[in-house]
Amino acid sequence: MINFDNVSKTYPNGTHALHDITLHIDKGEFVFIVGASGAGKSTFLKLIMREETPTSGEITINGNKLSKLKKRHVPYLRRHMGFVFQDFRLIEKMNVFDNVAFAMRAVGESSAVIKKRVPYVLDLVGLKDKLKDRPSELSGGEQQRVSLARALVNNPEIIVADEPTGNIDPELSHEIIELLTRINSMGTTVLVVTHEHELVREFNQRVITIDKGRIVSDTADEKTYGGDEDYDEAYDDYAEDYRDSYSDSPEEAEEDEDIDISSYSAAHYADEEEDEYEAPLPQYPDNVVITPDQ
Amino acid sequence: MKGFGYLVKEGLKNVYANRIMSIASICVLVSCLVMTGVAALFSVNVQKIVNEVEKTNETTVYILRERSEIEARQIGNLISNIENVESATFVSRQEAMEQFRSTLGDQLFDRVKGNDPLNDAYRVVIKDLNKYDDTVRQIKAIDGVESVNDRREFARKLSIVSRLINMISFAVVGALIIISLFIIANTIRATMYSRRFEISIMKSVGATNMFVRMPFLVEGMVIGFISAALSTVAVGLLYNGIRRIISEVAGTWIEVIPFNSIVVPLALIFIAVGVLVGFFGGFISIRKYLKKEGNEILGW
Repeated sequence: MINFDNVSKTYPNGTHALHDITLHIDKGEFVFIVGASGAGKSTFLKLIMREETPTSGEITINGNKLSKLKKRHVPYLRRHMGFVFQDFRLIEKMNVFDNVAFAMRAVGESSAVIKKRVPYVLDLVGLKDKLKDRPSELSGGEQQRVSLARALVNNPEIIVADEPTGNIDPELSHEIIELLTRINSMGTTVLVVTHEHELVREFNQRVITIDKGRIVSDTADEKTYGGDEDYDEAYDDYAEDYRDSYSDSPEEAEEDEDIDISSYSAAHYADEEEDEYEAPLPQYPDNVVITPDQ
Repeated sequence: MKGFGYLVKEGLKNVYANRIMSIASICVLVSCLVMTGVAALFSVNVQKIVNEVEKTNETTVYILRERSEIEARQIGNLISNIENVESATFVSRQEAMEQFRSTLGDQLFDRVKGNDPLNDAYRVVIKDLNKYDDTVRQIKAIDGVESVNDRREFARKLSIVSRLINMISFAVVGALIIISLFIIANTIRATMYSRRFEISIMKSVGATNMFVRMPFLVEGMVIGFISAALSTVAVGLLYNGIRRIISEVAGTWIEVIPFNSIVVPLALIFIAVGVLVGFFGGFISIRKYLKKEGNEILGW
């Protein structure tokens, strides 16, 4: 689903943001990308969004080589992804419904579909009673859930969350990640960029650690990248964290199972009016070719 | 295109949300269009007069006042003998007076009655208009001919004046269109900056540049359209006012084209120009914006 092959990024001002990144994220995976500020996380995200292009190497998303993607096709690439930002990026003059609907309008969806789809997605994130509220009337956690609903509403295959818990209370942070886990369990690939190791430790998921522009660890293959001392040091720090997290994992895993995924599945809404919108819209096949739809 | 209604609505909202700037844009564009319209209508009327004049093969030859009617008749024969002259009809000064009376109306005529200012004249019809100038020269050469009412000369002067006015108004209109473009572009840039947050969100969810651009283009076109409508009304009022004055002063001598018969093409041209200027005003600003900062999602 997401492939980085020897990707490096150097900005025109000489900043070496990423060095020779190679990674592979499969469809349906849940991945944390961790690293201190300045480690290259933002560049990583910008590359995925195709806001920046790599200096060298190749990024492949959904089978599309981004180097070969024409500029005018970039919007169609982004329709396969939903973005969640640290600062929520909700439009204050619009209510919750319109904020979510905005994402559908922006891709030219008809208002009939919007009227059915938006309440469904807001229900999914537990905000069906707040349709008419303004963002400022909501708590941070709720605002982030609106933002998540907006990311989900166009039914992307990938959710990319940039520090989704950065602006909300720690106790609510857990809730947001849990929600992302649930979305993941419905088949959506989820990428969470964060610097909150505590939070990462609570969830037993794949963790890719970036430091100074290099991948220093990836729990998927447990191998060390780079060779110089700094990276080893950084790796040691994170390795310690992960050993902790693994020791916690049995209970964690059990807890995870306690989360009733079925409450968000189709059965839960069987008695609702919008039957036809219970299930997410059909997923695109992996090898889908991104082309303009008009 | 899907969501077209939504985009148009957003464009209208932009016009209203940014109404002070919108009104400024409309004012500039209206003054530009009104000037264009007045200049165009002037030139259309002048052209009509010139065409009519050039088409007439009739010209008036005035005989010196001190010549008697008999002498005048002899001169008439000389005129008739010129090869390119079809006919020469004698108009005595009394007949001319009668014509003058009917043109002026009895009331006005009473005031000038008593004088005898007119000449005997010949109404001369010319065969081949291509040889008009030559023929006029021959007539002028005849002894006792005071002057030839060379309407073509008048027409030529008129078209020179008209061309001059056209050139000046072209320059002024050109400058005004550039100013309008600039002001509209700025108006739309202001709306765009006020909506840059929304634009970045639109871009992040995969809105195409065309889709992002549309409300601003609609905004420009709506400004253009409103300006065109107002300009049509303004030019209509102005034109009818001038027409009334001309018909009072010049009577039936100059026939001004009625506004009703030209309002449709005029309005269409106004709408075309207004909408195009608005469209490009919007296009310029949004293009520049999307190329630079508008392309960023994470960074702005």
